[in-house]
Formats: sequence, C-alpha cells, structure tokens
Amino acid sequence: MKTVMRKAMVAAAALCLSTGAVGAEVVKVGVIGPFSGPFAGAFGTPFRQGVETYVAMHGNKVGDAEVQFIYRDIAGPDPQKARSLAQELVVKDKVQYLAGVVFTPNAMAIAPLSQSAKVPMVIFNASTSVVVSKSDYFVRTSNTLPQVTVPVAKYALDQGIKSAITIVSDYGPGIDAEKAFSKTFEQGGGKIVDSIRMPLSTTDFGPFLQKIRAAEPESLFAFLPFGPPTYGFVKAYNDNALEQAGIKFLGTAETQESDLQALGDGAVGLETAYFYSGAHDSPENKAFVDALKKLDPNAIANPATVSAFDGAHVIYKMVEATAGKADGPKAVDAVKGMSWESPRGPVTIDAGTRDIVQNVYMRRVEKDADGKLVNREFKIYEAQPDYGLTLGE
Amino acid sequence: MELIFSILIDGLAYGMVLFIISVGLSITMGLMRVVNLAHGVFAMLGGFFMVAIVSRLGLRPELAALLAAIGVGMLALPMEKLLFRKVYGRSELQQVLLTIGLVFIGIAAVGTVFGNSLLAVPLPEYLRRSVDIGFRVVPLHRLAVVAAGLVVLCGLWLLLAKTRFGINIRAAVDKAKAAEALGIDTSRVYQLGFMLGAALAALGGILGAELLPLEPYYPLKYLVLVLAIVAVGGMGSVFGSFIAALVLGTVETAAKYLMPEIASIMFYLTMLVVLSWRPHGLFGRQL
Amino acid sequence: MTTFNNERTLGFRRASRPGVRRNFGELPFMPEACVAVIGLAAMWLMPGDLSFLTRIITSALFVLSLDLVLGYAGIVTLGHAAMFGVGAYAAGVYAIHVTAEPLSGLLMGGLFGGLIALATGAVLLRTHGLTCLMMTIAIAQILLEVLNKWRSLTGGDDGLSGIMVEPIFGVIEFDFFGRVGYLYSLAVLILCFWIMRRLVRSPFGLTCIGIREDRFRMTALGASVYKHTLLMYVAGGIFAGIAGALMAQTTQVVGLSSLGFTWSAEALVMLVLGGMGHLWGAIFGTILFMVVHHFASAIDPFKWMFVIGALLVAVVLLFPEGLVQAIRKLAVRQIARMSKRGTS
Repeated sequence: MKTVMRKAMVAAAALCLSTGAVGAEVVKVGVIGPFSGPFAGAFGTPFRQGVETYVAMHGNKVGDAEVQFIYRDIAGPDPQKARSLAQELVVKDKVQYLAGVVFTPNAMAIAPLSQSAKVPMVIFNASTSVVVSKSDYFVRTSNTLPQVTVPVAKYALDQGIKSAITIVSDYGPGIDAEKAFSKTFEQGGGKIVDSIRMPLSTTDFGPFLQKIRAAEPESLFAFLPFGPPTYGFVKAYNDNALEQAGIKFLGTAETQESDLQALGDGAVGLETAYFYSGAHDSPENKAFVDALKKLDPNAIANPATVSAFDGAHVIYKMVEATAGKADGPKAVDAVKGMSWESPRGPVTIDAGTRDIVQNVYMRRVEKDADGKLVNREFKIYEAQPDYGLTLGE
Repeated sequence: MELIFSILIDGLAYGMVLFIISVGLSITMGLMRVVNLAHGVFAMLGGFFMVAIVSRLGLRPELAALLAAIGVGMLALPMEKLLFRKVYGRSELQQVLLTIGLVFIGIAAVGTVFGNSLLAVPLPEYLRRSVDIGFRVVPLHRLAVVAAGLVVLCGLWLLLAKTRFGINIRAAVDKAKAAEALGIDTSRVYQLGFMLGAALAALGGILGAELLPLEPYYPLKYLVLVLAIVAVGGMGSVFGSFIAALVLGTVETAAKYLMPEIASIMFYLTMLVVLSWRPHGLFGRQL
Repeated sequence: MTTFNNERTLGFRRASRPGVRRNFGELPFMPEACVAVIGLAAMWLMPGDLSFLTRIITSALFVLSLDLVLGYAGIVTLGHAAMFGVGAYAAGVYAIHVTAEPLSGLLMGGLFGGLIALATGAVLLRTHGLTCLMMTIAIAQILLEVLNKWRSLTGGDDGLSGIMVEPIFGVIEFDFFGRVGYLYSLAVLILCFWIMRRLVRSPFGLTCIGIREDRFRMTALGASVYKHTLLMYVAGGIFAGIAGALMAQTTQVVGLSSLGFTWSAEALVMLVLGGMGHLWGAIFGTILFMVVHHFASAIDPFKWMFVIGALLVAVVLLFPEGLVQAIRKLAVRQIARMSKRGTS
C-alpha cells in the first residue's frame, strides 16, 4: 500500500515539475560553484554570468529540448560536500549534466559518481592536469596549469633570461605550476636558482621577496591563489623594489580581471601568460562582452566567465547530439575533437584527453583609454595542449 | 648577518601590527574576563570606516584613520551596554558563543553592504615610497607602523601608570570587588576600557591593512592570530601583548626566511610551547 | 550550576525496582528506537535526499562526541575536528592500502581518533580557560598542516579520493543511490548512541558530570579530575574518529577541511543550539542547524551568517541551556498548567 502511495506521490511530483509544451524535454544541468564566500567574486558570479550570457545569446532551447540550469553553492574546497551536492543533483534533481567546479579536490570527489552514473561533467575551472582523466565523462573548458605555465617559461627563455626563482603557494596547483615552469625552463638551458613554497595562510610576503632580492636572479615566477594572497604578493613585489633591482615578474593568473583593478598602478607592466584577457581583440569577444554587459553593466569579463560561456556551448552541443536524452557516452563522443571560435580565440576539445587545447597569450598590464587596467596581449602561443602529460608529474 | 637584520626588521614590523590589533583585546579580556572573539570585527570596521570617510568626506587619510578609530570606539559603547554586560561572569563557553554570533553578524553586515572583495586602504602620499638602507629596501609604511606601535605602547603605559583612569583600570583588573569597595565605579571603567580596546583594534586594522587585507571574513580569518597573541602574552598585560606579538611575529618571519614550508606550523608550535610552560601567558596573572 | 536536575540522578534509580514508574527515557532502548524510527521515516519521506541525510547522521555522531567532551567533561574546545579528520584519513588510508572492509575501517578511525585525543589531552588537560581553548586550536592547526604536507599519504589539499568500500559483512553492497550507505550510517549512529548513553550513566560518567558541576567537591570526594576528564576526552576522540571514518566511507573522499577550525566551530554551534549535557541536544541541534543551512544558504550566504549569528546571540541571552531544554521546560509548564486546570 505504501509503495503505491509513494509511487503516486512521485508521479504527481514529476507531473508538477515538467514544464514547457507537451513533448518537450527539459534537460537539467547542475552547476556547482562558489556562489557565496570568498571565491564568489572571482569564480561563482562569473560562472553564472557566463552561462546566462550564453543563454541570452542563444536562447534556452536546443531542438525540442529546453535546457535548464540549476545552481548549487559550495563555498570552498570541500570534497564531502561536493560529492553530496553532485549526488543530490543526479539522484534527486535528475540532472543530465554537471558543470562548474573550481577546486581540484571537489572535482576528484565527483569523479567516481560521474563515472558510475555516466553523467558528463563540464569543468569550468579546476586546473590540475590529472583531474580530467578521473572520469571518462569529464570535459574541461578552462585550462590546465602546465598549459599556461610552459609558454611563460618559453617566453622568459626567448627574452634571454637565464636564471629564475620559483615562488609558489604550497598547495596542489602551486606545486603543479612550479614543476611545469622549472622543467621547461631548465630544458631550455635556464637555471632555477631556488624553489620557494609559501604556506597558504601567509599574509606577510615581505620576507620571501627579500630573500629573492638577496639571491639576485634575473626573474621570479610566482603562483598564488586569487584574492588576498595575490594582492599581497604583488604589493610586496613593488614595495620591495624588485623591479628596480632587475628581477622580472613572471606569472599566469595573478592579473586576472576580477582582481586587476584592486591591484592598482603597481600592477602596470607586469607580464603574465594566460588563456583569456577581457581586452582580447576579436569580434567574438566583443559580442560576448557586449552581451555580458547587457545582462549586468557591472560584470567583468574574466577567464572564469569565458570558461563558463564555452562550457555552456559544449553542453548545448551535447544536448543536440543526444536530442535531449540522457546518454553520457554519446554526448561526450559528440564533443570530442570539436573545434570552435570562442571569445578567447580558437579552441578544440582534445579527442583523447577531453581537455581543452587553446591559444595562450603573453600579456602586459597597461592602462587603456579610460584609465582602467587591462591585460594587453602581445604574443600568441598557438594551440597549447595540456603539458602536464608530456612533462610528467 | 644581513639575514638576521632582515629577519629582525620584518619581524618587528609584522609584530607591531599584531600588537596594535591585539592589545585592545588583552585589555578588555583582562578587565572584564570576557573571551571576546568578536574583537576582529572592530579592527575590520576601523578599516571600512576609514575608507568610507576618505571617499565620502574627502578627508586626509591620517585624519580619517583617527576619526574611524574614535567612531568604532563610540560604536562599542552600546554594544558593551546591551550585549557584553550580560555575559560578565557567565561561563566561558557562553561568552565564546555570544561573541562568535557577533562575528557572524558583523561579517554578514559588512559583506552585504560592501560585497565580497578586498578593500584597499588609501595610503598618504609620503608613505608610498621605500627607503634604501644599504643591503635592502624597507617600505616606508612599515616604519610608520613600527613608530605607531611604539607610540601606542608608550601612550598606554602613560595612561595606565600615570592617570587616574589607568589606576582604576589596573585596580579593576587585579581585584574588581576590592576596587568597588573602594568606590571605583567598575562598570564605568569597563565601559571606557572596552571603548579604548575597540578604538585600538580599529587603529590596528587600519595600520595593518597592508599585511592583513580588509575583507568581510577578516574577523574570522585572523581570529586565531589575535587570540594567540593575547593568550601567549597574558590577559590584561599590555607589555605582555607587546612581547608576545614581537616573539610570535619574529618566529614566523624567521621561519619564512629559513624554512618557509613550515612557517605556520612554527607559529602554532611556539604558541603551544609557551603556553605549556606558562599557562597564564608570559606576563599573565594567576586568577 | 549546582542544581541537580532529575535527569542527572537517573543512575541512582534502579529501573528494576518494582512499582516504580519509569521515565519515558528510561525504558530500555527507547531513545535508540526513537532515533531509528525518525531515521527510517526520513528515508521514506525524502528518498532523493539520502546523501544529505547521511551527512546529517555523520555530523550528528560527531556532535555527540563533542557533547561527551564539552557537555560531560566540561572542556571547551574549538579543535575537536582534529580527531574527526584523523579518523577520516585513517579509515581512508586503511581502505586504500590495507582492506576496504568497512567495519574494521570504522574501528581504525576510532582507534586513531582516540590515540590523538590521548596524546593531546595529556598536555591539554593540565590547562584551563582561554589557554586550553587556544591549545585546542593550535593542535588542530598543526595536525592539519602535518597532514597537508604528507601529500603522499593524504593527497594534501587535493584530498584523498578513490576510497572504495567493500560490501558489509561481505554481502550487502553499497548502492549508487545511497540507500545502503544511509542505513549503514543510521545503524552505526544508533549503536554509538546506545554506547554513549550507557557510558554517561555509568559510575564513570556520573563522576564526570559531578566534576563538571563542581570540581572541588569531587576532588574532596576523592575522584581524580585529571584522569576522568582525560578518559572522557579520549572517549570523545574515539567517537569523533568513528564519525570521521563513517564520513570517509559514505562519501568516498576525505578533504583537509574535515580537520578545519570552521568544522569545529560549526559542531560547537550545533551542540549549543540543541543543548549540551544530555546527548539528545546534540542530535536535535545537528538536525536543526543542517536543515536550516541547507535551505537558507541557497538564498544568500551573508544572510545565512546573519541568521546563525542572531540565533547564537539569542540562544546565549535567552535560552542558555539550549533549545531542547527550553522546549522541554515549555512543554512541562504547559502540561502542568493543563493538569491543574483539569483538577480545579
């Protein structure tokens, strides 16, 4: 008796939940990200904005199917919660696709679920190389750390820089970046004078920069997480007059748009390598930024926004390939090897690794006509794959 | 040799910032015996008030800092009357919970009004340079912080040793009941002491903004740091906070220079060792 | 705080005395049965939320262990998550490198949680007040850093993933929907709850309550304060370790945040909301907190912090003994009023 009752309740609920015209499928996508907390500004809000911009530009229908995005909040690295959220989304909300995820531990926690339930997940950020291999249904539209680090090492060698000190925050991505830079730099004949790993909780970077200054290398390569650490580090770099001492600053995501204005004039001249600059000069980017500003005039186009935007594109293509039905293997197969022109430049989803292959740009921080700080691209490294695999861990 | 000097200089600057922020807590905890985890909220509010004053009223940063500190002190008065007073003498757990609740409310209020990002505190022009002292460069604002810390230390010493108010505070810290019996209005002393503590915290928040960036989660992030200084220094002892801040600041700085990977472990380990050896802190008193 | 509330003198009443009417809570296994009923009802009513419900169960077990330490041994700690996290990693590493058998995994978690509690408690319990609090925080932070550095074993901040769980008793397999995981957790919770209830009603437990109420009197009576509080602290550590192991097994991943300050603080809030010192408060507070969090944090994170902050302030100022006691008092007063009306 109880089971009949329960089935009736479930059927009634399902009936209430179905929206749209009769016969239309609703394809739900669960987006997991930090929509609250300290990472909301750099990732959570951009994720949402990127997705909503794509929907504004392309509508929410793919064929007969209506795509619906559900957002779930996870404020920081919390593998247990990530897995719980993913499980709820798949079992309770019946999403066909998962998306988002900023932190590697969270992605790792969701991997077994994605694999056993055959639910594809499009990763909007988690950049450690190994992540995308943890499930056959993971696709990444952001970047990997080695992918953006190898070009900056090459650039340094091209500029005739012979010695460097790596200084990274002591956590997974930092260590990945340190290894990628060191290997590439040394392979090209450079010398790594010292490798410093700073505790994540460091607030006073002065001593570290003094140490570097005393060692007198030609450059330093830095990697820190977004927000207060990057801000503090760049300030300390300027305060301790390292540039005047001839120690060049090499970085990747430190000057990304959501933090750039707060860094102030001290950031002018810093050179970094990354896969997206808000000031990228292309018609696709212009259309993207315009649509974004229409959605929210205060929105800033940063790498996370464009990763989400492209991620939404991948999801739409997957829905199209499966005609709105839940078929993980078919969906992922459809996007393997897919290429398109993203606001960041030409991109391809690698057929073997399901990772993104894209241009990486060397940029310099400058002031634009309005006096705002932008990352001005001046050199392109084309079609960079994930170097994490070729360099070895 | 240069390394040792570098460690001392940076450790001193870092320690001074910690001292200014924490000394207010040491006074209030010693005075009212209330475990006040919400102290960081005052520091954070100091920074936010100052930025608001500079941007809305266009005043000079130094003046804005002073006004912000006074403003926070005034804000502390009703908080003392309405909230903290209720938990004097109650169990430490209750105080922890009340003040954690206040921390959450503070974070929520600031976060809702200012949003989630970092707040940059404007520096006066003349402090934006760096001074070359031969083997290294020292940012001028660090020296300014060290100077400010010494001024605060001397000022507090004068206050406590030479003024009537100071004598009343010391009496209330030592033996509240006896002080009352002698006619000292202890609740007034508590009020003023609390305001002083909050104003000092605000000042510390402003001066330390380069090292401890201001953002809504500030009180929670640096809570442990501040409590550590007070615990190691001994509640109620200004000099204790000073020494503790310098010791802990220098230890962490030295670790950053010499063994960066375990710098934060060194901080906590030092705290543990000191507290095991002297459970009431370096200069604390037996209750 | 020297009032002896009826509940606390329960141990002196031998339930087998004829003619004595038992308290509801005194009936054998009644509280455990209540928990079982609530748990099963939850599963029936919300079959899609099982991972959330499982998280509530592992959290409830953790908060119960905190109640032993705080409510029964009287130690204010903001570092209890250390034992939880160590237990979780122990179970995880055990599952990956030794055997994925779940029940022994739980014991591993409990063992390591207890060992850490023993080692750290020996130092901690010589101190009181703020110093003790600071040391609990320092110890948890140091353990977190150590586990963080030990990347080869724990995966560092990437977390320990890929924890497999073999079928329970070799037969019952963990399913994808989380049903088996939920029932497994519920069973573990009920068993641990039963053990804890027996513990706090035992002579040992009563001595601890006495120590919490009045240290000096108990010392005068000849009880060793240090030994008793240490043992209760270790008991708290063991159950925290089991809770951690349970979490590791049901979510198949362990992160550094399981040792974090935030987790310790949240557990404290949950315990206080429900009320400490009678185990029920822990369960009730956990459910309340996590349910509200689940719904509220979807709206706005800062509003959530505001709600929790206001709740804490309200509890301290208005209901210092926790919500369970407040509700109970209210209920008692209502019943008394109604019975008076009945007889007048």
